[in-house]
Amino acid sequence: MKNVDLHHGAATDVGLVRKVNEDSYLVAPPIFVVADGMGGHSGGDVASQMVVEEFQRLSEVYDPARGAEHVAGAFARAQARIVDFGNAHRALQPGWHAGTTAVVAALVDDNGVAKWLLANLGDSRIYRVTEGRLEQISVDHSVVQELIDAGQITEQEAAVHPERHVITRALGSPEGIQPDFFLLPLGSVERLLLCSDGVTGMIEDKEIEDILETIADPRDAADGLVRAAVAAGGRDNATAVVVDVVGLVKDATYDSQRQLQSLESKLGGRL
Amino acid sequence: MSAEPRFAAGDWYAVAGERVTVLLPGSQRDRVAHLWDLTDSGADVDAVLDALLAGGLSSLDHFALVAHGDDATRLIVRGAPTATVSSSAGDDLVSATPGTTWAERLVTGVTSLRVTLTGDGEADRVLTPGLARVSVVEFGAPTASGTPAPAAAAAVMEPEPVATEPEPVTPEPEPEPEPEPEAVEPEPVAHPEPVVVPEPAAAAPLHFGEPDDDPTPTGETPVVRDEWYDRDGQTQVGSPAPDFDRPPIPGQEIAPEVVSQPVASLIFSTGDVVAVDRTVLVGRAPEARRFASHDQPHVVTVASPQQEISSTHLEIRPGAGADHGSAIATDLGSTNGTVLAQPGLEPEELTPGIAVSLIPGAVLDLGDGVTIQVTNA
Repeated sequence: MKNVDLHHGAATDVGLVRKVNEDSYLVAPPIFVVADGMGGHSGGDVASQMVVEEFQRLSEVYDPARGAEHVAGAFARAQARIVDFGNAHRALQPGWHAGTTAVVAALVDDNGVAKWLLANLGDSRIYRVTEGRLEQISVDHSVVQELIDAGQITEQEAAVHPERHVITRALGSPEGIQPDFFLLPLGSVERLLLCSDGVTGMIEDKEIEDILETIADPRDAADGLVRAAVAAGGRDNATAVVVDVVGLVKDATYDSQRQLQSLESKLGGRL
Repeated sequence: MSAEPRFAAGDWYAVAGERVTVLLPGSQRDRVAHLWDLTDSGADVDAVLDALLAGGLSSLDHFALVAHGDDATRLIVRGAPTATVSSSAGDDLVSATPGTTWAERLVTGVTSLRVTLTGDGEADRVLTPGLARVSVVEFGAPTASGTPAPAAAAAVMEPEPVATEPEPVTPEPEPEPEPEPEAVEPEPVAHPEPVVVPEPAAAAPLHFGEPDDDPTPTGETPVVRDEWYDRDGQTQVGSPAPDFDRPPIPGQEIAPEVVSQPVASLIFSTGDVVAVDRTVLVGRAPEARRFASHDQPHVVTVASPQQEISSTHLEIRPGAGADHGSAIATDLGSTNGTVLAQPGLEPEELTPGIAVSLIPGAVLDLGDGVTIQVTNA
């Protein structure tokens, strides 16, 4: 796995209502993270920052060949820190909790082939754009998502459901963490979006798709998404990280080894 | 995991070795002596598991197995037992979903592990290698509910000399002649209480942010009114619905995540050989979705110059329930389909979404000249 050229952009905004930005993000190619903290000042912002710090630390020693293991390890370390942090606080303020969502994208080396390893805890989201179509990859860990999956409510009903803020998994949860992982071929993702619910709660998927389709530069696209979320009311912290795989070889059958061998034989072994 | 293992007295047998501990219902005393021979002679977990399963699964509705490795603890529970594992990665409650073969975990950095067989007793007796009649067993640091009383090793039976005496089973301390009948064997039907399934302690969801009675509000969390919903301020953590964790293919039993022995080996026409010890996904550019870090599927990419093969075309995984021990294949709604030729049968096209059990010698044809031959593992 070499020379995967990534272009990326990130933007975050506290929004129009909240005073503290509890979202954090990390851009440390080939690792990207968005975390949306919960727990108020010195709670959610600290928790989401802890996740970002752990992945920042990971990025310094990251081995793509052991990507899944490394990402799971960073989750576990972040979880341990947030739980410790919560316990220390609870000694002073009973009932106090801090937690955070997290979505992670990391390039991994799967037997020499670069792939996207994506991971999700909570209701921040990962989308991809392929052939002009936006597709949500992560599945929210939320009560309304469970109700949708069970066929009990529609997505429209979910948007106004009284329990739409209740998430079922998060870092900092005393019951432990259970992130979902996803493994996608590099060629199946032209553009990747990681964002907090301050984006997806404010603008429709259609608008997200339009912005990602029309703005070519990933930095401008991330800005555009956050600005649109703020313009739509900015009720929550909004964060977006956009990653493009540049020079993507779209032929899924491309095989560098075979290409090299073929070249060698064509050149009569002069390589 | 330095503290000594502990237990609460009960009807189950604990066959406790240095590294491997097997827990069996009172009705399984036949298996106990042989297992003790093995564990006492230092057999590894695979050998113990082999011996445990030698008599077949049908007569073994319930058991639990805990094996401490150099850096990880392996845990298997089948039937009624439940286990709570605390590790650096957090707490995990392990119980077999009804209808599955068992639940298995490989956990590193375990700090404490509590296996509940019956009741909810306090594990206050030290479990030394040997046999004991137990209801709860704990390893590692004491959990909140029980602190060990180190002296109370009373009920642990001396490990009798090995092969000479295949009778170390008789419970000395409670010489009730046949202690089985009552609670001992949860009659197969009678465990509709898939015992102690989470009810995740807090019925009330965790509220993040300042509690209502917070004496020192920071004023940083805005109070948002009318139609504006402050999503963060309201975000809470609730408990997951149990069946949400691993969405199965509709109408199918949930697959065991990873099995200890591959159930089959797949020989690809491309030359790849892949063991079916977990889910295997095959396609032109396969995507694996919603897996946990410990059950990452094998993803096998096959070239398809004519694009006959779909990006994620076929799934092959260890079977559960009636298909236990064999590999099952499911066409994942591929565009051009999959043809299965089982030995002695007419080739058939797989119906998308319907799993078919594979026998050794079967050949799956995905198109574009790509075939997969199924052989014994």
